[in-house]
Amino acid sequence: MVVSSLINGIVLGSLYALIALGPSLLYGILRILDIANVAGLTLGAYTGLKVFNATHSLLAALVVAMLASAAFGYLLQRFLYRPILGRGPLIPLIASIGMFIAMEEVFRLVFGPYPLDFPAPVPLPTVHVGGAVVTGVQLLILIVGVAVLVGTWYALRRTRLGLLWRATSQDRETASAMGVNTGLVIATIFLIGYALAAISGVLLGVNYNTVYPTMGDIPAYKMLAIIVLGGLGNPLGTILAAMLIGLVETFVVSYVGFVLPRDAIAFIVLIVILLVRPQGLLPGESSGS
Amino acid sequence: MALLEIDSVTVRFGGLVALREVAFDVDEGQFISIIGPNGAGKTTLFNAIAGVIKPSSGRIRFQGREVQGSNPSHMSHLGVRRTFQVARPFASMTVRENVRLAAAGRQVLQSARALGLRGRVRPLADRVDGLLETTGLTADARRRASELNIGGLRRLEIARALASEPKVLLLDEPAAGIGVDGLRPLAELIRGVHQRGLTVLLVEHYVGFALSLSDRVIVLDEGTMIAHGTPEQIRNDERVIAAYLGKAGGGQGDRPPAVPPGPDAPGER
Amino acid sequence: MSYMIVVSVTVVIYAILTVSLNIIVGYVGQPNLAQSAFFGIGAYFAAVFSTRYHTSFWLTIPLAFATAGVAGLVLGAISLRLREDFLAITTIGLNFVIVAVFQYVPFFGGAVGIYAIPLPSIAGHQFGNNAFLTVGLMMLAFVMAVSKYLEHTWFGASLMAIRDDQTAASSVGVPVASYKVIAFTLSAAFAGMAGSLYAPFLSAVTPTSFGFIESVIVLAMLIFGGLGTIRGAVLGALILGALPEVFRFISNYRLLMFGAILLLMLRFQPVGLVGEGSVLVKLTRRATEELRRRRHKGTSDPPAAGV
Repeated sequence: MVVSSLINGIVLGSLYALIALGPSLLYGILRILDIANVAGLTLGAYTGLKVFNATHSLLAALVVAMLASAAFGYLLQRFLYRPILGRGPLIPLIASIGMFIAMEEVFRLVFGPYPLDFPAPVPLPTVHVGGAVVTGVQLLILIVGVAVLVGTWYALRRTRLGLLWRATSQDRETASAMGVNTGLVIATIFLIGYALAAISGVLLGVNYNTVYPTMGDIPAYKMLAIIVLGGLGNPLGTILAAMLIGLVETFVVSYVGFVLPRDAIAFIVLIVILLVRPQGLLPGESSGS
Repeated sequence: MALLEIDSVTVRFGGLVALREVAFDVDEGQFISIIGPNGAGKTTLFNAIAGVIKPSSGRIRFQGREVQGSNPSHMSHLGVRRTFQVARPFASMTVRENVRLAAAGRQVLQSARALGLRGRVRPLADRVDGLLETTGLTADARRRASELNIGGLRRLEIARALASEPKVLLLDEPAAGIGVDGLRPLAELIRGVHQRGLTVLLVEHYVGFALSLSDRVIVLDEGTMIAHGTPEQIRNDERVIAAYLGKAGGGQGDRPPAVPPGPDAPGER
Repeated sequence: MSYMIVVSVTVVIYAILTVSLNIIVGYVGQPNLAQSAFFGIGAYFAAVFSTRYHTSFWLTIPLAFATAGVAGLVLGAISLRLREDFLAITTIGLNFVIVAVFQYVPFFGGAVGIYAIPLPSIAGHQFGNNAFLTVGLMMLAFVMAVSKYLEHTWFGASLMAIRDDQTAASSVGVPVASYKVIAFTLSAAFAGMAGSLYAPFLSAVTPTSFGFIESVIVLAMLIFGGLGTIRGAVLGALILGALPEVFRFISNYRLLMFGAILLLMLRFQPVGLVGEGSVLVKLTRRATEELRRRRHKGTSDPPAAGV
């Protein structure tokens, strides 16, 4: 029983990590809480579904979904965020909320308000671990999750782009003064961040076998709680926080009769932590706001 | 009893000791400068007096009452006002509104019309007009504060600080970034304000500027007070000279340039 | 005709929400994406007390004002510890938490909400739509008057100073922390007051009517009209509140409209339609100045150079 909850918790945590990683990277580069990133998640899910229906290839679905979402992210930073950067952290945040809401409506109007099935067979076996069952989809999530995590760690620590990201996230002005082409770095990070969102969207759709316009709501606000908890702009912290929330949610729901719905847990944890430690659980960017 | 007593103030930031047992008194009507090379702790001392940071140990007394660790708003009400080195205007308001806000204290809250930012209560308005004139901002009174140049912003800082008729004025490196032409008028403005009976505490990187205005000078180096005395004494103090020469970028010369100290020096605008 | 009255009541309630939100977001410059939660607190307390304890409508008004005000005070206290974007997130979360409280705490009637809220009556006559509109307008006038008064006081100027530069405000004697808390309390209390009218007007309250989306709508109205100005708040509520009702076909696109307006306004005209420095305001000022000049001259000759 515990093993089962543990596995479910880890899978859920991995999913949350995938959802929150993009915004964490984006925050590092632009100091914006990009809620619209979750619209990229939903876009990825719908695109993946449509491509899957046409090709019956989950791989093709993933690839096209990533491309579509990345393109969306690119346009967003180019035409919405970059022009309004100088106006403080709030304006882009609220603009991203507006974009998020508008996109959800677009999905509703284009794809219809009713949930669609995403019955993609995952070419992975069901595994039995310590008396618990890990389905093929869950295995896929874990594999993708680990791959993305390792890839991100490697990219941040070992590649030039990662170095540029870290430099720009510490101090954009100095980085720019040193000749780092921040425009290019920003665009690249957005492409990556939105591609990640698409992956989460497809995995979410396949895991719960459903795609619907507002599927991004709950991930959106959990993502907020997670990246704040993990320390804004700290990808490692975000991942840890995601795992924490995934595990807490799973165990609380299994073992504790809870008055409030499971989805409120993330926010209550966040508010409590913020009251105790206003800067978040783990240190985020090096200097203050 | 001195107006302001700095009593063995120590400030630690983590493992770093920014100020070590600094102690001196400020009598009413005095003009005291605090100078020292980079990293001496001038800003830290300033912030401690202004109520921005709380000393790790030691006391600060104003009019006999302990004020260390209070906040800037409270210090303002007690009569201690400060300027900011990097000017902080209220950008959405006009110059006049900036000064008027700084002039109308909590005590004015009784009368609704007296509060009028767009109202027409004479005493307050007169005081504001006077301040604008003293600081040479009358022509700019209706402009957005954000439109001022650096000289104007500095003068606005001073006007705002003076607006509540404080007992002590804390000046945070007012000469920084001011070109050579602007130094003399600035010095005259500050001197004039002091001569009207205000107690002034000046933190300054530009040694000559500070020495030309002060009654007494306090010299900090790496958190400790290494010398204090009249400008003449400080000018020739070997420890002070050593401290400045020993540091890279040790200020604009340890010997003051020829800024005439007298009030009858020809001024320029 | 009766339909127009109903629409008007809705618009008036939105206007109370925008004008009160303006106090904290416009004057003080603090983010608040939870105005609907305070609205809901007022509405729910009014609903519970009038149905369960048979409290008179007129008493539910101060009750709603007070309960929402307390919630605002709590948020205000919390806000002191957080920086801007964390505060924004916290207010988002607050919405969800409060809606969850409405849904799951039995006192608030659970997921189905509170229904059969009695109509208020005055001098023995039960409220009709006209009465609701009248009371609503009175509430709106009250909130607008308080807000206008604030603009002329040192308190109001201090709020704007806090918005411009909190540190400088403190150094000129503004008690930043307490003023922030007061502003939050006031803003929330007024929203709650509107809730006390909303509850009997709809005769039922449900948890989901006060969610995050509703808060975003109120903020969008304020930003659209002109953040920081009372006229902007009212205009935004008027236009965006009435539009989906007057043009029925829009109602399917209502949320899309709000989302799009939010991002378009922030991208291209963040001061809002009639906010300080907006295109409309500048044009109007230029036009009125031109008119004044002409009236002075008495002719339509172009003004002398240097005027």
